[in-house]
Amino acid sequence: MQLHLVFFFINMKNTINYILSLSFLILIYGCSKQGCMDANALNYDDSANKDDNSCEYTPFDKQALLTNMTENYILPSIQEYKSKIESLDNSINNFTSNPSEENLENVRTEWKNALLTWQDISFINIGVADYSYLINKTNQFPADTTSIDESISSGAWNFDNAQFNSSKGFPALDYLLYKRGLTNSEILTNLSMENAKNYLTAISDDLLQNSIEIHDDWVSKKSEFINNNATDLSGNESSSTGESVSVIINKFCEHYEFWVRRGKLGLPLGKFNQFSGQEMPHLVECYHYGQSLPFLIRSVESIKKYINGFNYTTGIDGPGFDDYMDFVEASFVNSTTSESENLSVAINNQFDEIISKLNALNDPLSVEVVSNKSAVEEAYEPMQDLVPKIKVDMTSALGVLITYADNDGD
Amino acid sequence: MTAINHWSNKLFYKKTEIEPLAVFRIVFGLMMFSSTVRFILKGWVKEFYLDPKFHFTYYGFDFIKPFEEFGMNIIFGGLIVCTLLITLGLFYRFGIVTYFILFTYIELIDKTYYLNHYYFISLISFLLIFLPANRYFSLDTYFGICTKKNFTPSWTINVLKIQIGIVYFFAGIAKLNYHWLFEAQPLINWLKHLTDFPILGTFFAEDYVAFIFSWFGAIFDLFIFFILINNKLRIYGYFFVVVFHLMTALMFPIGVFPLVMIGSTLIFFSSNFHKKIISLLSFSMIKNERIPDTKEYELKAFYKPIYKTILITFFIFQLILPFRYLLYPGKLFWTEQGYRFSWRVMLIEKAGYAQFYVHEPVKDRNMVISNKDFLTPQQEKMMATQPDMILQFAHHLSNNFEDSIFYETTGEIINLGKKPKITADVKVALFNKGSRSFIDKKVNLSNEKRGFKNKNWVLPYED
Repeated sequence: MQLHLVFFFINMKNTINYILSLSFLILIYGCSKQGCMDANALNYDDSANKDDNSCEYTPFDKQALLTNMTENYILPSIQEYKSKIESLDNSINNFTSNPSEENLENVRTEWKNALLTWQDISFINIGVADYSYLINKTNQFPADTTSIDESISSGAWNFDNAQFNSSKGFPALDYLLYKRGLTNSEILTNLSMENAKNYLTAISDDLLQNSIEIHDDWVSKKSEFINNNATDLSGNESSSTGESVSVIINKFCEHYEFWVRRGKLGLPLGKFNQFSGQEMPHLVECYHYGQSLPFLIRSVESIKKYINGFNYTTGIDGPGFDDYMDFVEASFVNSTTSESENLSVAINNQFDEIISKLNALNDPLSVEVVSNKSAVEEAYEPMQDLVPKIKVDMTSALGVLITYADNDGD
Repeated sequence: MTAINHWSNKLFYKKTEIEPLAVFRIVFGLMMFSSTVRFILKGWVKEFYLDPKFHFTYYGFDFIKPFEEFGMNIIFGGLIVCTLLITLGLFYRFGIVTYFILFTYIELIDKTYYLNHYYFISLISFLLIFLPANRYFSLDTYFGICTKKNFTPSWTINVLKIQIGIVYFFAGIAKLNYHWLFEAQPLINWLKHLTDFPILGTFFAEDYVAFIFSWFGAIFDLFIFFILINNKLRIYGYFFVVVFHLMTALMFPIGVFPLVMIGSTLIFFSSNFHKKIISLLSFSMIKNERIPDTKEYELKAFYKPIYKTILITFFIFQLILPFRYLLYPGKLFWTEQGYRFSWRVMLIEKAGYAQFYVHEPVKDRNMVISNKDFLTPQQEKMMATQPDMILQFAHHLSNNFEDSIFYETTGEIINLGKKPKITADVKVALFNKGSRSFIDKKVNLSNEKRGFKNKNWVLPYED
């Protein structure tokens, strides 16, 4: 038996490589000072000039991460969203009882504020938000303008029906408040009609009701969510699909890939328009308002804050996935420099690159995708490059199964 | 020569008490019964075999297709009936043959769900076809369907031990690689997520723990067979079997595999041990059924050479299969050519992201494919890291879009024609060392043939 073993060992090219490189390393580094070079480690040695993999860290506290993300980001952001929706609701009530240009302007301001805050929470998409399709009910653009017009002229609509998802929420308000080709006074006249006022109220009631629903959902299941940090890898029967860290990661990855990269930029740019790839300007968010970039940029910035464990209100950095990735020493090989860097750094740099490329664009995005297409494509590229970084590197570094199915492995 | 003869006589033809075989039959039957019930209760029949619109068949087995809902329910019902027949030893030969065929059929439908322990179950049920496991403590003998035998030639028990030995030993050999031994990969990464594991958790963040686990795992796998066949050491060996598999069961989502190994390795115990189990299981009516009788099970002379040939081929095949990877260039863990059916258990941590494109024939412009439209999340996940599955999916896309006509928003009408070009941009991370390009994204995958030839469009892995 022993002979067999030796035989297999010899066959292992890697083993030989290892022995060779080890002796090489000993030769080269024999006289340099070795030690732990990570300043975050417990035994950081600032005089070391060669890392010897001896760094020791405090065990990662998933509970603290979940507590921070839930208490300091999720809950306050959803609270903020709810209050923004309440302000929007108030302004719409004021407008319907007294349609004036000033009140219309108030509605528009509140609408914009609420939509910006929506970008802070849309990717949380967990629990009631997830299974009630909150995103589709809140911000599924482009608005179905035919259906909206028909509903208003007939005075009949049913927002409980998913068919009306594109006829309500923020996109419908975008259409009603800023309809293209109309002057402000024409819009005011249109919205002053009884059916239109009722329609506005219905949209606002719907948004308000949904925001209360998710708010209450989070308040009631907060501690359950924080405590659901399964001890096994993704565990057995009970916890595998429910483990909170997995849920957070799966949901935000899915959201970023589909709704942000594809929905907010890829689709209008024509990236998904079959073979011709022709631009589809009418698919931008807030087509009628004419300002899409603030919302897109806000959504990318918010995801970055969220996964880095920032406090929603104060902006103070707490335990987040960046710390978790550092704890497991997740690395990333930079394709241009071929150098290895921390995955958390690579991901945050990717976010920053996206944000700076997006900042270089000009609204209206619907015009920009056609007239300045190469610049928009240049911004789309880093958005695309982020997908494998979060879906492959981040999820596997954090031991998250990207699949939603619960299955055995071996 | 006489020494070898003596040895082989002892190993294969010695008259041996039959109880271990009967107990193995019952344990195996019960384990398969519970794992089939578990499979059904988890809704996996629908999720794995009815929901997917496309299946990743094994090369050469493309004719294997799942049935509709009714048919699959019949098959899983059949599996349950078979496991009961095996357990009770009623119409045993029929039960085990049917079980082997149905189980293997299900495993061949889709390689997405390939697991080493399913392969193990297929092999064991194949072996059981040839063994007289129903000749003692069974309803077959109770009802007189076949005659009871108190003794059996030793080969009938030893082939099972050899089979189990192969599993452990090859799993051990597979662990003798640089990553497992000197980087403690992938355990070093997995353990870091288990720092809230009871008691041991606080140590899991320490790298040396991963090294201890890796080395212990490798040594355990390599030597456990030799410990289990030793009369004096067996009890300690079995203790390690239980501890080892219970630990893995608690730490990782590996389903029924630990239970299967804990149950199967009981075969190594003496016949006295198995007699005790049988007397525990006995009801009063069949108690003391061992009458002082020395009848030994014997194969008909006609079958002897047939059985011998089948079993020798069976084992030789298994000894060669794990080494077929040596015929391929490149890094095994990266290309996974020759990876399956080799007892490589929990060896790699791999994740991928695959973006497919279908091209139009005239200007070579491409369209983005949404994998979700064709695959389930689990299929997509497995496909993204395995070249043979990437190719299969590309062929499926090519077939799917053949002669498709697209009306563009520009007014253009595009006909994709025969065998449209398919390319893919795939990023894979191995052992969390950063994702990198996995295949040549310029290669037209619809022109690449499936099969055992080296897939030269897989990019080499650079450390």
